[in-house]
Amino acid sequence: MSKFLPLLDGLKLNKPLHSLSNERKIKEAQHIWEHESLGGIAENNNPLPRPVVGLLILTFLTAIAWTFPLFGQRPNAAIFSDYVTLMHSSPVQQVLQDPTLTTTARDKKAMAMIVDALKDSDSPFEFQRIQHPISMNDLRIMEPKIVELQNQHVDLSEYSIIGNEVALANFEGNWKEDGTRSRVQPWWDKGYMTSVYYFFGFCFAVIITVKRLPPITWKPDHTIAH
Amino acid sequence: MLKYLFAKEKDIPGGSASIFFGFSCIMWFIIGTGLGSFNAAKLAFPDFFTHYYALQFGHMRQVHVHTVIFGWIVGAFAASALYIVPALGNTKLWSEKLGVWNALLWNLGLMLGLSTLWFGMTSGREYSDFMWPIDIYIALFMVLPLFVNIFMSIVNRRTQGIYTTNWFFAGSFFMLIIVFLIGNMPEFLHLTGLNEAYMTWWFAHNVLGLLITPVAAAITYYIVPKVTGNPLYSHRVGHLHFWSIVVFYSTPAAHHLMSSPLPEWLKSFASVEGVLILVPAVAYVCNILLTMQGRWSMFVENLEIKYTITGVLLAIPLNMQGGFQQTRAINWYVHGTGWIVAHAHLALLGFSTFAEAAAVYYGMQTMLRRKLYSLSLGNFHFWMLLIGFSLYWVSMTIAGLIQGAGKIYEVPYLDIVIAEHPYMIVRWLGGTMVFLGNIVWLYNMYMTVKHGEKLEHGVLPHEVAYVR
Amino acid sequence: MGFREYRVGSIMFGVALATSMIITIYMPGLDISNTKATATALEKQLTYGKIAGFDLGDPFLHGDDKPIKVILKKDPKTGAVMDETAAYVFKPGTSLPSGLIHDQINGEAINKLSVSLGKTDQVSVEAGGVYLVEKSVKNGVETPYIELASVTRGWTIDATLKAADQEILAGAGKTMFVREGCWWCHTLLPEQTHDWQSFGRPPMLGDFNGESPTTFGSDRKAPDLLHVGSRNSSKEWMMMHFFNPRLVQPHSIMPRYDYLWGGVDKKGNTIDLNQWDKEFVAYRDGDRVYPPEVPDYADNSEIRYLIDFVLNLK
Repeated sequence: MSKFLPLLDGLKLNKPLHSLSNERKIKEAQHIWEHESLGGIAENNNPLPRPVVGLLILTFLTAIAWTFPLFGQRPNAAIFSDYVTLMHSSPVQQVLQDPTLTTTARDKKAMAMIVDALKDSDSPFEFQRIQHPISMNDLRIMEPKIVELQNQHVDLSEYSIIGNEVALANFEGNWKEDGTRSRVQPWWDKGYMTSVYYFFGFCFAVIITVKRLPPITWKPDHTIAH
Repeated sequence: MLKYLFAKEKDIPGGSASIFFGFSCIMWFIIGTGLGSFNAAKLAFPDFFTHYYALQFGHMRQVHVHTVIFGWIVGAFAASALYIVPALGNTKLWSEKLGVWNALLWNLGLMLGLSTLWFGMTSGREYSDFMWPIDIYIALFMVLPLFVNIFMSIVNRRTQGIYTTNWFFAGSFFMLIIVFLIGNMPEFLHLTGLNEAYMTWWFAHNVLGLLITPVAAAITYYIVPKVTGNPLYSHRVGHLHFWSIVVFYSTPAAHHLMSSPLPEWLKSFASVEGVLILVPAVAYVCNILLTMQGRWSMFVENLEIKYTITGVLLAIPLNMQGGFQQTRAINWYVHGTGWIVAHAHLALLGFSTFAEAAAVYYGMQTMLRRKLYSLSLGNFHFWMLLIGFSLYWVSMTIAGLIQGAGKIYEVPYLDIVIAEHPYMIVRWLGGTMVFLGNIVWLYNMYMTVKHGEKLEHGVLPHEVAYVR
Repeated sequence: MGFREYRVGSIMFGVALATSMIITIYMPGLDISNTKATATALEKQLTYGKIAGFDLGDPFLHGDDKPIKVILKKDPKTGAVMDETAAYVFKPGTSLPSGLIHDQINGEAINKLSVSLGKTDQVSVEAGGVYLVEKSVKNGVETPYIELASVTRGWTIDATLKAADQEILAGAGKTMFVREGCWWCHTLLPEQTHDWQSFGRPPMLGDFNGESPTTFGSDRKAPDLLHVGSRNSSKEWMMMHFFNPRLVQPHSIMPRYDYLWGGVDKKGNTIDLNQWDKEFVAYRDGDRVYPPEVPDYADNSEIRYLIDFVLNLK
């Protein structure tokens, strides 16, 4: 067991030196060892150059910005709730039943009308509508499901559009008063916040580690050993 | 080599275990790249060799993956660790006998594991395809002895400090055992469903992130200062690299499943952590390249430095891809396409293979006390690897982008297959070049054993001029 | 020089690794384990059985130890005509899926219903049994549950197999899917982005409970198969495609699976693959008008399992 102990109770340096090298090398190595040059490969203690430090900070910022929860957010039913209302409105229905146009042209025109009508509305979903453009056929698939949810008076933003389904989202937000969880993706997202805390923990630990190292101005003197 | 299995510890010459591992890993590399080339041929020409149960693509793909990972890459790590750790500790290996046994058990285990895998005895989980008895064997009889040997050599070192390389060796092989035992829990404990899917990728991510990337880096931390004679640029930055590997590389496993119904918070967390992998990457690459200051001529003149620095330079695109391709916005485009295949080969055939090839070249010369037989063949091997790899990487990246576009614009799948076909042929050519280059390498190494110029005591291989 | 603090370093290393594992294994594990199974998940459990990869019950992945899915049009006990129903027959000794062994897999509500309405507390491996997936609607909420029909309806294994309109060996087929490495190219995971429009609905959160392995696949070199049975339900097409994909898709890069026929056709005649190849080459080169005939497979051939599995992916 004593073999395992040096790590725990300090270093034992009283063993005979045995090595793969010849006498001369052993003498040299002994000299290096006694002068703390880590087995012949000397360490240095330079700081990172400023541009590299800049690059690291940029990495941190990029990581936070690029993965901000709003990016890549899955479309929720609330984004398209207005689309459904407008789809039922008479001018859009007129276009959809216009006998002078082909089916594709009708769909395109009707969708353009809907998008156009919502352009100036002051909606919180404007950004996500641009991110998730849909066709008339997509809207037709969603329409009955969204109408059904509207009739149930639930919060549509808690429902994701997944394939042909409109399903309760997979997010875990705050607890609501009725004991259920909010399913709206919050801007601060649980995983994202865990990441931020985790990152701060890392910085904290690295600062402690680095503080225990000698100052960056300290240079090992290799001329003694070599 | 086998006569040392039952010899007394003091009768086994130092470096035996390393040489055993070194030659086995070159053999496995040839087998692995040969299988890779064969598989690529099957994708390019699907009617090449049919009717045979065992030669079908679905049986061969995982054998290729595991041969190169466990045979070549981890084998080369073992070969390097078993001579670098004692050298850095200025001591002998803790037990040369254990090392020789380890190499034997390694090869036997791989033969057993790969042949059962080949004949379809698989767990059906990517990267942990081996059935669970083999997983236990790998953890207990292949990795554990290696870790004990490395760890005890470090504990019994004759230097006061522990050099950066050895932190990584000790840390990574320890983590490999943990990853193996925890990552295979779905098979041991019959975990099912999303838990199983997630643990599969937790394993796959960590076996790369906590073993292959850091150990390949650790090897370059040794080779570059040793051969150039420059001290490592900064010990402090080495700390940043080591700790950020442990902290950031061990967490983003869920980014492999960005499009599955995992909890959304897990995907957000993984995605941020995934970008933060750039922290160790930037620290590491800067540290090594700054160590090269004033010795850049060796990048052209010296074979080991040529390999190592090529590997380090390939780590730059590798980490840039790795950091960003897993974010939701980009993953949407590249997930499941050839881009990812190209990225995986950039990590394993680009970055780590070049670093390890350098370590094996250098280690075999040091341990055999013979100068490399031929520099020209070494250079030929280098260019075969580099050109072959580049052809592979570029063609698969292009194929991946085509596939991504096809996915987003909903092109009928067969049209994507047709569009990718030329790149499949280039991929096969690239892979075959790597395979042929490796055969030349084995020949060069064999000739080094037989006819390499003997090195005097106290002289390092790179201090002697080449004869051929 | 204060950097020889390896004890501090080791402790920090342990703390870092443990924190990372708590966040990436323990926390998601809790969340994932708390999800309720969907009806799809229950159907999958009963179709695929315990495990499709390497298992002591089927170490060589021959498709042993798997349940049989049957389609019933009449009640096996009374013979009365009924709506098309899928039942899952576990012959005596067949291992049970994890949803019937472990409590945490399906969720509390399903477990309760399965016991109170489905009598799954009387499940036994030795006796086997016939299972159904049923639904109970309460206050507008639909909850699926597992019913042990051998107890609740008195359907015996023999009677059910006899009354079966169709036997689907998809459980053994999934083993073939795993063993033959189909999932190296075909994913079972339409992404939650655009590609559901061609490959169908992406899976939902509870769709996998109890399934092992999930074989999502990561490297897609071919179409997604999660809903392939809905896109193409032709057994003949599948047969030709598996025998030689170039027969129906000249540009396909899929391997041939002709060896899964086991060397004999349905009538027990030996299949001469080389002769077939010669005829196929002649057809491909325009020397023959018709392609050679693809032999019909035997009822217990591995290709039958695989085709059953693929067609069962609705």
